[in-house]
Amino acid sequence: MAVSDNSKKSEQIKPKEQFDFFHDERVRSVLYQLLTAAAVALVAWFLISNTSKNLEARGMHTGFSFLNVAAGFDSYFKLIPNEAGVGTYGRIFVIGALNTLYVSLLAIVASTILGFFIGILRLSSNWLVSKVALAYVEIFRNTPLLIQIVFWYISVFSLLPRVRNSIDLSGGLELVLLNNRGLYLPWPVPGDSLWLTGIALIVAIIAVCVFRRWAKASQDKTGQIVPTIIPSCLLLIVLPGAVYLLTGMPLEWDVPKLAGLNFSGGATLPPSFVTLLVALSAYHASYTAEMVRAGILSVNSGQYDAARSLGLKQGRLMSLVIIPQAMPAIVPPLISNWMSTIKNSSLAIAIGYPDLVSLFMQTSLNQAGYAIELVSMTMAFYMFVSLIISGLLNIYNKRIQLVER
Amino acid sequence: MTETKTQEAGKTRKHLVSAASSSVMIEFTQVNKWYDDFHVLKNIDLTVHQGERIVVCGPSGSGKSTLIRCINHLEEHQSGSIVVDGITLNRNLKNIDYIRTEVGMVFQNFNLFPHLTILENLCLGPIWARKISRADAEDVAMKYLERVKIPEQAEKYPEQLSGGQQQRVAIARSLCMNPKIMLFDEPTSALDPEMIKEVLEVMIELADTGMTMVVVTHEMGFAQIVADRVILMDKGEIVEENEPVAFFNNPQHERTKMFLSQIL
Amino acid sequence: MTIIKPVESPTVTAPLSKNSALRWVRKNLFNSVFNTVLTFVMLYFVYVAGKGMWSWGITDAVWIADTRRECFAISIDGACWAGVYAWFDNIFYGRYPREELWRINLGLVCLVIWMVPLWLPRVKAKISIGMTTVFLYPFLAGYLFSGGAKGVFMQFMVTAAIVCLLVNTLHAIVGVCSGRSLLEFIVTLFGKKNASSKRGRNILVGLFAIIFVVIYIWQMNWTVERIPWTKWGGLFLTLVISGIGIAMALPSGILLALGRRSNLTIVRVFSTTFIELFRSVPVITVLFMATTMFPLFMPQGFVLNKLVQVIIAVCMFNAAYMAETVRGGLQTIPKRQFEAAHTIGLGYWQTMGLIIMPQALKHMIPNIVGNFITLLKDTTLVSIIGLFDVLGMLRSISKDSPWLGLHKEPLVFGAFLFFVICFAMSKYSRHLEVKLSTSHKK
Ligand SMILES: Nc1ncnc2c1ncn2[C@@H]1O[C@H](COP(=O)(O)OP(=O)(O)OP(=O)(O)O)[C@@H](O)[C@H]1O
Ligand SMILES: [Mg+2]
Repeated sequence: MAVSDNSKKSEQIKPKEQFDFFHDERVRSVLYQLLTAAAVALVAWFLISNTSKNLEARGMHTGFSFLNVAAGFDSYFKLIPNEAGVGTYGRIFVIGALNTLYVSLLAIVASTILGFFIGILRLSSNWLVSKVALAYVEIFRNTPLLIQIVFWYISVFSLLPRVRNSIDLSGGLELVLLNNRGLYLPWPVPGDSLWLTGIALIVAIIAVCVFRRWAKASQDKTGQIVPTIIPSCLLLIVLPGAVYLLTGMPLEWDVPKLAGLNFSGGATLPPSFVTLLVALSAYHASYTAEMVRAGILSVNSGQYDAARSLGLKQGRLMSLVIIPQAMPAIVPPLISNWMSTIKNSSLAIAIGYPDLVSLFMQTSLNQAGYAIELVSMTMAFYMFVSLIISGLLNIYNKRIQLVER
Repeated sequence: MTETKTQEAGKTRKHLVSAASSSVMIEFTQVNKWYDDFHVLKNIDLTVHQGERIVVCGPSGSGKSTLIRCINHLEEHQSGSIVVDGITLNRNLKNIDYIRTEVGMVFQNFNLFPHLTILENLCLGPIWARKISRADAEDVAMKYLERVKIPEQAEKYPEQLSGGQQQRVAIARSLCMNPKIMLFDEPTSALDPEMIKEVLEVMIELADTGMTMVVVTHEMGFAQIVADRVILMDKGEIVEENEPVAFFNNPQHERTKMFLSQIL
Repeated sequence: MTIIKPVESPTVTAPLSKNSALRWVRKNLFNSVFNTVLTFVMLYFVYVAGKGMWSWGITDAVWIADTRRECFAISIDGACWAGVYAWFDNIFYGRYPREELWRINLGLVCLVIWMVPLWLPRVKAKISIGMTTVFLYPFLAGYLFSGGAKGVFMQFMVTAAIVCLLVNTLHAIVGVCSGRSLLEFIVTLFGKKNASSKRGRNILVGLFAIIFVVIYIWQMNWTVERIPWTKWGGLFLTLVISGIGIAMALPSGILLALGRRSNLTIVRVFSTTFIELFRSVPVITVLFMATTMFPLFMPQGFVLNKLVQVIIAVCMFNAAYMAETVRGGLQTIPKRQFEAAHTIGLGYWQTMGLIIMPQALKHMIPNIVGNFITLLKDTTLVSIIGLFDVLGMLRSISKDSPWLGLHKEPLVFGAFLFFVICFAMSKYSRHLEVKLSTSHKK
């Protein structure tokens, strides 16, 4: 098809055949990489040289030795003991990290449960229920978390009554009390022989596992469905319960008691903690709900028909056919939602909950300086956590792939 | 398979095109390629002259696609040499760019650009790779669209066309670059029978103009009409290479016989 | 067996019986005992919540008052919207001088005019319009908002932006009326249909040069008063920060995503590190980093103001988020498209710019909108480091002496404001998603 009119233009100069340095793929690749590295190095050098000059000019010190210096302040909420003027900055870091992890882990658990619940409500065949769930999701997703946190704090938790008029959440038993100083819970004080009950519990769990496996095997063999749920529950309750009673109930509850102007005993959770927990859970539950819904909807509707035509009942249909297929679609976004929960717990700073950011990046930074070290340590902590979580995700993905193969 | 045989084939061809000049367009010498540990191409030797039409067939997974994708360096070979239009395919990017403008390729799945109209699909290469002005490029594009018999579809988007039409557009898109060689990788296997016909017609017309073509296909009828040589590949090797009459009527290898018995 | 299709069977709409509403209620609300109970529980819940909010927010609320005390005097149980109303200008514009507010409004109007053509179906060259929005509009807006003396560079860019706005608008009008591009329209207007396109282009270039010069001369003696960034605030500041954030994030996100997919090891490692670093740390730490570490990074005597620090920080983490969005978009493009582009001789950047990105961007638009929603919400964090964005303004109402302690109403109003914006955008992005997933078929 010798087309004459544009053949003239196609007469390109034929390139040379021999090794052409500037057009060789490998040379190019190395060149580009060197250029990138050089550019990054240049920027890094610029920043570092400026920083060192600035530090010198301001007479600031660097290095991590300050971690061993006693900090002049203390956190009002902590999981490990500490004292102002005694505990070091290193200890403050640990306290902050633990506080962050503590509130976010609880929020993760709560938001996941609440999210699954709302996600299922979203799919309800009841129009009203699904619309109320939808309203929940839209309201919480479309307003900034920071506003939500501040709102919870200011308009819910600061309106709580004083100590004297505490709200009793346990209905007259005076066990769980809520007032403007926080949430008061009974706290278990283990006795000497409690470990026996613990062992009994572990034994019960193992027994349940064995039993379920046996039940499945026997179902495979005989075709008889062996009821597992009720016996497992019984086993889990009765065995540890019996041991607990036999060893003379070696667990005491430290119950909060009104002593003077405040409660003593039990465990106290400060309002900022409760606020953060509630706000994070409510906010992330709205995301989880959408993930659950999308995951369940992603299962091909043919699967329902197929399962029904096999004669599975609704409950088994969900647990045997739909949920297992929905999980691969739900879990990866769910895990990254957990990561965002941990990251978002840093908004604690707005209501004064002493998490890592507020203790370390704000208070410590104001007191001790060492901006670079403090900022990078804080960021490194979050990166480390995120690495662990993406590790979890990878493990899950690997397992899914194995199953799918 | 020798040079003389090829030229004999050239003389006995049904087409009116002048016999292929002896200038070599594609030359494979001892080409080997691996995907990780998997040896896809084993010591391939192949010479294609200007104006020759080669049909490549063989069972699935035998390396046909890999073979022709090596010609325009969509795949890289690891040893041996491939010379296309006098240029060795090595890591010289300029060579690769040059080869790609000189070699057109048509895929099984058309691979048109869905976000561009047919006309824009056709003009893209000439404008950006050949640096031709838009007006000229559009003229050429319309000419080729007429040649593949769908000038009226110029303003439509690929998704609005039937498979056969899309494949003809894909052929026209390659032709707009005014290539010296055309590669076809199973151009009809994603199509319905009547569409196959219209695409094959376009390809036969193209063959009549003297284009150098390498076609991977299972359309044995096409091979018999058009091919100068038919090549059978199996497990990464060229098992048999012969002119069509001999290939179909008097296969030399067991594997060829088996393949033909399965496919015919 | 042959099935003969009868002559087109008339389509009968389901009879709208009087009972259909009743049946709907039965089917969707009371189809089982359990559902009936659930419905009543929910109805009660909705009633209680709705009534509480209605009486607090509407019926018992105070709309006109001068102080919080007055609010209390009128109604103790209702919301005191009067406080929010008194601060309206602050919530939207911060402490921007009241007589200069037209500049902000004009800037927003310009943005709307600039972007409307992107939604008009018959207008061509949408990608260029989008690009000019990202690269030229900021100069016009920047000058309008901050004012002061223009340098030569700024004069040039402002002129370019104005010319571009004019051309865009004309282009859009021509496009809507005739379905052609402005270029074609002008060429035919001059009756040069048969002349070579070079001639037409010369005319156009000449025309634009004249317009450019005229506007340049005009804007030389046009100056507006300088307003320091410290006066910026409210929703305006939130939009400026998140707008710049999203506009800068798009190009840098594309580069990062390409870097992450590159087969050049060093490029890939750097891009991946940057992306993962900024994605794994909380936004607030990035903001703190900006305010505490950037001053150390800069050469001595060179001071970045807080707003610039914050904007840089926002751009950095948002670029990382955007890179992941872009990467997701790129993954939707099959490898065959790359190969097809290679076979017609396109190089890497041509392939990316002409074939891959246009397709990927289209797939990405819903996610980009989602990204913008996230960014808009995250921008409220700048109030923690002391900028007076919407939330900062809302929270300072309670420190204003007439409205001392007025916390709840401003927050509810802020939440409502964000809800309206974000909900509209998320609905829009969902609509786009549906449209995209259907428009790719015949
Ligand atoms: N990117 C790749 N990585 C690894 N193996 C590959 C890759 N591409 C192809 N292969 C393998 O190489 C072999 C040859 O592939 P090729 O596509 O060339 O076969 P083919 O002859 O074109 O087959 P078909 O008729 O099915 O198109 C196949 O076994 C295939 O599995
Ligand atoms: Mg193939």
